[in-house]
Amino acid sequence: MSPMNNPQDLNPSSLKSRFTTRFLRALTKINGQKPISSSSPREMFQRYRRIKVAADKSMAWSVRSRRTWSRAMLWKLRSRYSCRQASSSRRSSVRTSTIIKSRQAKTSHEKENKNTTTGQDEVGFVVQADKLRKLVPGGEAMDLCNLLGETAHYIKCLTTQVQVMRKIAHFYSL
Amino acid sequence: MASGDNDVVGFEHRNESLMNCPSSQMNRNPLSDKFDGMAMSSISMYNKPSNTSDPFFGSGWDPIVSLSQSESLGCSSMVSHSEFANSQYPLLIENQGMSSTSHFSQYQSDPSFVELVPKLPGFGGGNLSEMVGPFSLPQCSQIANSRCPPNNALNSEVGNERTSKNSTRSLDEQQISEEGVVGASPNGKSRKRVPESNSPLRSFQNADEEPQKDPFLESCDVPKEQDGKKQKIEQNTGANPRGKQVAKQGKDSSQTGEAPKENYIHVRARRGQATNSHSLAERVRREKISERMRLLQELVPGCNKITGKAVMLDEIINYVQSLQQQVEFLTMKLATVNPELNLDLERILSKDILLSRGSAAVLGLGPGINSFHPFSSGTFPGTISGIPSTNPQFPSLPHQTVLDNELQNLFQRGFDSTSAMDCLGPNAGLLKSEL
Repeated sequence: MSPMNNPQDLNPSSLKSRFTTRFLRALTKINGQKPISSSSPREMFQRYRRIKVAADKSMAWSVRSRRTWSRAMLWKLRSRYSCRQASSSRRSSVRTSTIIKSRQAKTSHEKENKNTTTGQDEVGFVVQADKLRKLVPGGEAMDLCNLLGETAHYIKCLTTQVQVMRKIAHFYSL
Repeated sequence: MASGDNDVVGFEHRNESLMNCPSSQMNRNPLSDKFDGMAMSSISMYNKPSNTSDPFFGSGWDPIVSLSQSESLGCSSMVSHSEFANSQYPLLIENQGMSSTSHFSQYQSDPSFVELVPKLPGFGGGNLSEMVGPFSLPQCSQIANSRCPPNNALNSEVGNERTSKNSTRSLDEQQISEEGVVGASPNGKSRKRVPESNSPLRSFQNADEEPQKDPFLESCDVPKEQDGKKQKIEQNTGANPRGKQVAKQGKDSSQTGEAPKENYIHVRARRGQATNSHSLAERVRREKISERMRLLQELVPGCNKITGKAVMLDEIINYVQSLQQQVEFLTMKLATVNPELNLDLERILSKDILLSRGSAAVLGLGPGINSFHPFSSGTFPGTISGIPSTNPQFPSLPHQTVLDNELQNLFQRGFDSTSAMDCLGPNAGLLKSEL
């Protein structure tokens, strides 16, 4: 693994710094919301979920909309949020579910198109490509070439995320 | 070279006097700076009648093509230019068998030049308006364009520029014109145009092209291209590929290094490969995919020795899965750790996180885990019992059972870093390598 480049990290517009600031902000907000004196599992789970959402969101926002996977992730978060918020009203949930279904249909249709047009090249890699598509957010709608590019960027962002979170946890526990 | 220089300079003088160029010498021409290389190359061509290293000198077309090249250099009056250049073609046809030296002697007769100038009024007439442009090179192509009606299918001037070269090549051997344009290609101004014009150029190449032409293509298209590609010869599949080549100009190719400069990237058919648009597009796609796989190979640790896309993809999938698992684990950790932070520490933390080196990351996992134990022994028994019971409640965990075991092992074994690594199982190697 390549060592961290300090001059690059100090760059306020680098991915790492953007993610760090956003995530820390979200974390402090989460921590400030509820004191963690209570260790009930439910609250723990809720905190876990909130932190996870915060991590995903801050990572996706750091990338903005430049990448397909970040756009897909943001869209998913927003739709989940709106689903949760509109859970009381059936109309909006139905709307969001229909949107999700149409999007899935579209992506599957696109995937079929892409599969037919890929030709003999992708015969051996369809299984792995599908697996990769499930892992990378928004991967269903991409052909193999773009999928690989998105995977590369996604791996880079994930490693950044892991590094930052690890250090935060380290500092928390000190 | 000195004697040859005299011949060349005299030749240039004649050219320019005919062209009514302001400067008497090539070098003083304001436009000649760009085409100095071409002039030098043409001069070198002139001066090597006995040079066996220039195989293309054996052809009779060389001086004439270079003549047309040099004519295009820095000439303001295009009319006489075109007509003069046009007049050379019948000469070329007649003098195919002549040696280059004999060509020199032929060219050195001024009166013959002057006579020939008005003889072909209709040759380049249609293209004269097009010839007055920023580049004097295109004018030669315009001339040839009129002679090659199929070439007129290409509307762009740039395309015409190269089609003329092709037509000249069809008349004579290509190396000289290539050499001439080679000199032009390093110029900053023509450089941008050269690759653009190369694609229609290739479409008109004859089947009897020799490998020597490739250096020209290479240098004109992408001077940075490696020598290994010099053996590629683009096959000419007739009139059809013209349209296809033009269409192919819009395709992306990972071959050239000048992609940011151009509107399109050129695709070149390799020797012995099919040249229909489908297979070429397939090849482009395959190259893109392999390029991305190489990128991924660098990102994923421990994949340098792996060859083969399937195994590589498996590795990539495993790595992404492990990264996602780590993020999950860390969010769990952050959720359980009690942060004694206030807002001021946030700023300090961010700086520390950004500034700390990799060694801190190495310690991050170990001490972070170790510190669980002494941190709050009171709460942890509660959490230890709490977490396994809450595990079934984590629907969002993609690898629930794996994380289950990991967490339980971690919490129950006293957070020994080595045992933690063992507990992580197959991910341990990746984590260690990551650290």
